[in-house]
Amino acid sequence: MRVRHLVHHVRWSATVIAVLTARAASGQASQGLDSATAAAIAPIVEQARANRLPVTPLYAKAREGQVQRVPLARIEAAVRMLADRMHAADDALAPDASEQELSAAADAIKSGVPPETLRLMRKAGGDGSLAVPIGVLTQLIARGVPVERASMEVVALLQRGAVAKNFIALEESVRQDVLAGRRPDESLDLRLKGIIPNLPQTATEVGSDGLTKAASTPKRPR
Amino acid sequence: MRDMNDDRDEMIRRIVDELKTLPAVPADATARVLARVDAARRAEGVGARASADDDDVIFFPSSTEEMQAVPAAEGDSARILAARGGSGAPGRFGRRFVISLPAAIGYALAATLAGFLIRGAMPRHPPEPNVARTPEIQADTLGARTTLVRAAATTRALQEAPLKVQFVLDAPRARSVTVVGDFNAWDGSRTPLERDSTTGVWSALVDVRPGRHVYAFLVDGTTWTLDPSAPRTKDLDYGTEQSVMMVGMQ
Repeated sequence: MRVRHLVHHVRWSATVIAVLTARAASGQASQGLDSATAAAIAPIVEQARANRLPVTPLYAKAREGQVQRVPLARIEAAVRMLADRMHAADDALAPDASEQELSAAADAIKSGVPPETLRLMRKAGGDGSLAVPIGVLTQLIARGVPVERASMEVVALLQRGAVAKNFIALEESVRQDVLAGRRPDESLDLRLKGIIPNLPQTATEVGSDGLTKAASTPKRPR
Repeated sequence: MRDMNDDRDEMIRRIVDELKTLPAVPADATARVLARVDAARRAEGVGARASADDDDVIFFPSSTEEMQAVPAAEGDSARILAARGGSGAPGRFGRRFVISLPAAIGYALAATLAGFLIRGAMPRHPPEPNVARTPEIQADTLGARTTLVRAAATTRALQEAPLKVQFVLDAPRARSVTVVGDFNAWDGSRTPLERDSTTGVWSALVDVRPGRHVYAFLVDGTTWTLDPSAPRTKDLDYGTEQSVMMVGMQ
């Protein structure tokens, strides 16, 4: 009986330690935030948790504001908007988006990319990570390519089987062209001509799922 | 007394196999989970040898046929009896699962630890409800769905593995330089740059996941400094300028 009670105590202690560890891990995420900021964003974070969204980006957004000495009200608003964008991104990339994808998608939505484009990207991209394609889309928009045009081309590239390295190469080429004085949309046109012929599905362009077939006439995102 | 080891060994073996297939789990994670389970089982073995008067034993039936309540003996009020062998003598059990409360807690703890370890590699979304109409089809569908989702998560985890990125800032008069960005949660203390004493150039090699990232340098702990070699963007949330980089294999 003594051994049994000892086992009892060990197990209860282990349970308590596990609970405390979990709490400590939760607290660690908010480390570096002053108490006022942490308190201000706590309800937003809890809501995100309830929605099964990753909360690390929310703490990071708050810390970003804090390191730039942004007023608390603005930090709180920024964190709330990020949570909303992540929720929209989560819906668009369902059923299983990685944290990287969600963060990238939230940034894309901030740049004006409609969630429908993200849905099309998920469909076209299959199991692959969309973190890079979404990031390139955001960057093309930031360079001045119109949202609709950039969205359509990125979806089309995914439908043709483009992978991360193709997107990175495209972005780098456009960057150099823009530095050299070329217009961003002109540069995109030019560089797509160099990338598309080398993509795996350009030669076939026929598929039973409609995605491959759609590669030659990409669906326009709403 | 206890004849459930074969079933549980099979279950544990499957859990271990699953854990081994998951990426980004520390090398000793499986061993730690196994150790936890083993400890729980050993402790249960001790419990099994204890007095028959154990007062917190829960019996789980192995089939619906065995769902016959056994009359509780006098003094057994705290015992939950829910199963017994169909043809066994009164008080003797045929095929059944027996688990004590401490053992149940032990397993729950092990499962919780396993959950913490594999969190992030597993899909965060629950399977959509009403996927199928009958329990049999639902079980099959969810099984296949879980497998697919897990495969997708594994593929993504591999593609999102961090790459080494070098940050460089020429600031010979600076006393300290750190880089802050979305890749290190804007935490300046995480990524200090080191100064080359001969050139005065500060640099650091940082693990960054593929994708688009924004960042800036903090000089002397306070001065927000953009990377002169990187493109810039204006952050719409806070209205400040940031440096931008695309990370990925070419």
